Amino acid sequence: MSASGTSGVGDDFARQHNVNRLGAFVTKAVTLRRRQGNPQPRTVETPAGMLNSIGLQNPGVERVIADMAPVWAGWETPVIVNVAGETAGEFGALAAALDGVPGVAALELNISCPNVNNVLDIGQSVLAAGRATRAAARATELPIIAKLTPAAQEPAQIARACVDEGAAVICAINTVPGMAIDAEARRPVLTRGMGGLSGPAIKPIALRVVYEMARAVSVPIIGCGGIRSGLDAVEFLMAGATAVQVGTASFANPHALLDVIDELEAWLEAHDVSDVRDIIGCAQQFETDVPAPLLEPVEQHAAG
Amino acid sequence: MIRERAAVLSNEPSHEGGIALWLDAPALAAAGHEPGQFVMVHCAPEGGEPMFARAFSIHRRDEGRIALLYAVTGHGTGWLAERRRGDVLSLYGPLGKGFRLPDGAGNLLLVAGGVGVAPMVDLAETALARGHQVTAMMGARTASQLLPADAWPSAVEYVVATEDGTRGLHGRVTEHLDEYVAWSSRLYACGPTPMFAALADALRDNGRRQRPEILMEETMPCGWGLCYGCAIETRHGVRLCCKDGPRFNLFDVF
Repeated sequence: MSASGTSGVGDDFARQHNVNRLGAFVTKAVTLRRRQGNPQPRTVETPAGMLNSIGLQNPGVERVIADMAPVWAGWETPVIVNVAGETAGEFGALAAALDGVPGVAALELNISCPNVNNVLDIGQSVLAAGRATRAAARATELPIIAKLTPAAQEPAQIARACVDEGAAVICAINTVPGMAIDAEARRPVLTRGMGGLSGPAIKPIALRVVYEMARAVSVPIIGCGGIRSGLDAVEFLMAGATAVQVGTASFANPHALLDVIDELEAWLEAHDVSDVRDIIGCAQQFETDVPAPLLEPVEQHAAG
Repeated sequence: MIRERAAVLSNEPSHEGGIALWLDAPALAAAGHEPGQFVMVHCAPEGGEPMFARAFSIHRRDEGRIALLYAVTGHGTGWLAERRRGDVLSLYGPLGKGFRLPDGAGNLLLVAGGVGVAPMVDLAETALARGHQVTAMMGARTASQLLPADAWPSAVEYVVATEDGTRGLHGRVTEHLDEYVAWSSRLYACGPTPMFAALADALRDNGRRQRPEILMEETMPCGWGLCYGCAIETRHGVRLCCKDGPRFNLFDVF
């Protein structure tokens, strides 16, 4: 599936490609009110990746529903709307706005974008992530996917909190907070200083987080972070992901999403894997130094 | 969008600060494009860095071939400048919204600065073929940085200005617009941001009738509206250079 923020709301993608080949289409983040996004510069190319500070530019949830939901309803592939709020209340309001809208199959909670105020803070706190998930889950019948940041001290704990509060699926990871410095100007390149690092550079981080989370929760995990080939997807599946998202690779290769699907199928065939489920989590059987993630229960953690 | 692997036919400097790259790109050429549209060219070995393709407007076209005109400004274009005949480049396009030519025959004034001259030659050729009259103005710091006159179709009136006075009019091109603007019915420009700002100042009082269109540039990781990186602030809100542009109305931006 597409990673949020890397294929718009699907109209341009569907004009170029057969969108129905995707397992799902995940939209660019939608907020309650229209957002202009951040000023330039918005992107910096970095070794094996990029930093972005787009700032969730979007026309607001009502407008997106009006313009795009009828289009999505005509697709065979399910559409997952990524929603971003600055408070739990906003997540609830977004979920309520999208509840029952034909063409919307699920919500992905963006509690991990580093480029707007508060969103990343929610994703780094067990309590706040749980509250945002609960607010959304109570406001809609739609399945809730929590998209999480690798910046949290214990990403697997955040995942558990989200699942405990109603998330049906976990998506990991969003971009990694990073920075670029302009040596001549002696200041950060991006206006907000920090940006979100994506691309092949973050793949090892994403694999580690998926691996940890797969041990911490029993719900499906969508792997995301630096995937640009079928082999990358295979690695995520082996780490414990049930599905994968392709993001930044689509900027470099307009055909990346479909290439990953084709290459994944070819890899499975070449390795005599008749059911992709046979490799999901297979790398988990080996003892590693990854710390046992089942620490104290979330409730105790919150109380302490 | 066409994706094509195109062989380099030639890749030679046309003037100081401009390299003309001719590509054998039959699929792209057959698809057709509007002047001002662009292609994304990977400026690295396959899978190498820079990871993202670079945007280049189409400079010329000729039976299965297209030409780009570029300046070396970084790693990507530096790598591109080292390509030789027979090397194969991976590219996709045409992308974006090109210039809008008037329906009836018109007097078109083209204003170019720096490597912004690239799409103007394609615009001039297209406009002439559609029956328009074309005057092209180009400004540069010095004579060697001007696109040579023989790179333009012979029917184009080519007016140049140099800041050091080594050729043509003395000063910036935007200081010599008056008589040409008065003649023109439409105006098109491509160049650096300060040129657009000067152009807006020069045309604010007597150039609105020409509805000046400009071709903007912004860093474009994807080129087709996916990444939202290339935002441009306009009077109508934030627009994406790659998808809503790169052609904008001058007075919507400046």
